[in-house]
Amino acid sequence: MYRKQVRRRRAVLALLIVGSFVLLTLTYARGSTGFQRGVSTIFSPVQEVADRALKPARDLVDWFDKTFDARGENSRLRAELVTARKQAVATQEALQENGQLRKLVKLDRSPALAFSAYKPVTGRVIARSPTVWRSSVTIDVGSSDGVHVDDPVVSGAGLVGRVASAEGGSSQVMLLTDHASAVSAKVVPPGVQGVVKPEVGNPEELILDFIDSTKRVHGGQSVVTAGWRAQGLASLFPPGLPLGEVTRASILQQEAQQQVDIRPFADLRNLDLVQVLTGGSRG
Amino acid sequence: MIVTPKILARIAALALAGVLLQLSFFSRVELFHTSPDILPALVACLALLGGSMTGVVSGFSIGFLVDCLLVEALGITSLVLLGIGYLAGLYRERFEIHGSLAPALLCMGLTLLAELGFAVVQLLLGIDAPVSTLIVRDMLLKSVYAFFLGWPIYLLIRRVLRPALVEEPKVRRRRQPTVLGA
Repeated sequence: MYRKQVRRRRAVLALLIVGSFVLLTLTYARGSTGFQRGVSTIFSPVQEVADRALKPARDLVDWFDKTFDARGENSRLRAELVTARKQAVATQEALQENGQLRKLVKLDRSPALAFSAYKPVTGRVIARSPTVWRSSVTIDVGSSDGVHVDDPVVSGAGLVGRVASAEGGSSQVMLLTDHASAVSAKVVPPGVQGVVKPEVGNPEELILDFIDSTKRVHGGQSVVTAGWRAQGLASLFPPGLPLGEVTRASILQQEAQQQVDIRPFADLRNLDLVQVLTGGSRG
Repeated sequence: MIVTPKILARIAALALAGVLLQLSFFSRVELFHTSPDILPALVACLALLGGSMTGVVSGFSIGFLVDCLLVEALGITSLVLLGIGYLAGLYRERFEIHGSLAPALLCMGLTLLAELGFAVVQLLLGIDAPVSTLIVRDMLLKSVYAFFLGWPIYLLIRRVLRPALVEEPKVRRRRQPTVLGA
């Protein structure tokens, strides 16, 4: 009797292991299946309710976490404030000069106009992946709101990621910190271009790779999306979306490249409201 | 554990509540830059009370639901969690659970194992980006959180599944038995 039970247990274990491998083989790197989209559509209202109900508890835990962090952050913010004041003065001068030049050349190519082709759809984050190996969030807007796969997603501070899949009332957003994410970007002011990739397990830093080592990049410079277009191909992201700030730049002698560490402007760990840039042309 | 349709419904409700709580709450809060992961602890507690069969099936189902809700490749979470369920169930069938710390310690160890399992599966599938050493801190902290969350999860599941448990809790005797005439 006992042996029979053990045999049955092992058979179930083997069956489920084989089942997992079959599912993995069938669905890996093939996007979402109809079944997954159906389950996600059914559960998205439940997740939305759970998200709203649990918000006070989440805020309480966040408050504790932020209190611990506040001490270390205080001195860093003071230093940043001094730098920001200096930059603000320089920016004012540059804006005045820019306005005069615009009048002269009669051009109006502000980044805001580049984004005006997009129709922003605001969504709330209702779920998040539990493991750092996959960095994605679920938002409560989907294809019925005009959201499409590969639409850029931004928060108030900058680029957050792109839509990986869209169902009726919800979408999955692949964050910049997901291992499969890559964004073509440039450092401003020098305009050096590269690819922003994540460092898996470290949500506070991104890496700007493939930079020509002849052009030096320094800490404090901003990184924005490059938004290229060539031979019928185009970047998924419009140009000029803020990505992050350079924290460290080092030259890799063996690879004749510069590797730049970036701190993302958007707080990718505590996302609540985001905007999906729907419509518009890529690049 | 005697699994009747009513008990099965309770296990399904626990699993669903656990998954929703994980995705909507625990994944979105951070303490020391790490989010707790209660799913390995949930599967481990179900297996500690119900045995390896319950552990394996609940691990697979919970993993399947997570992958469906996150619209990720199916099978990764199922594979890891069914392994955790089997190991916890095997422990329950071979050893006695002595002391109140045992479930919490098992949850801690098995969460660490689950995180290592995720890492191995993900590395086998391929990673397109460099991996930070901070991932080790994340794994260790997740297992520490599982130690503190494992005990309440175990107590809650034991309470919900009490009618099906074979081992009834010991009834405290109010009076010591006495020999007649003594």
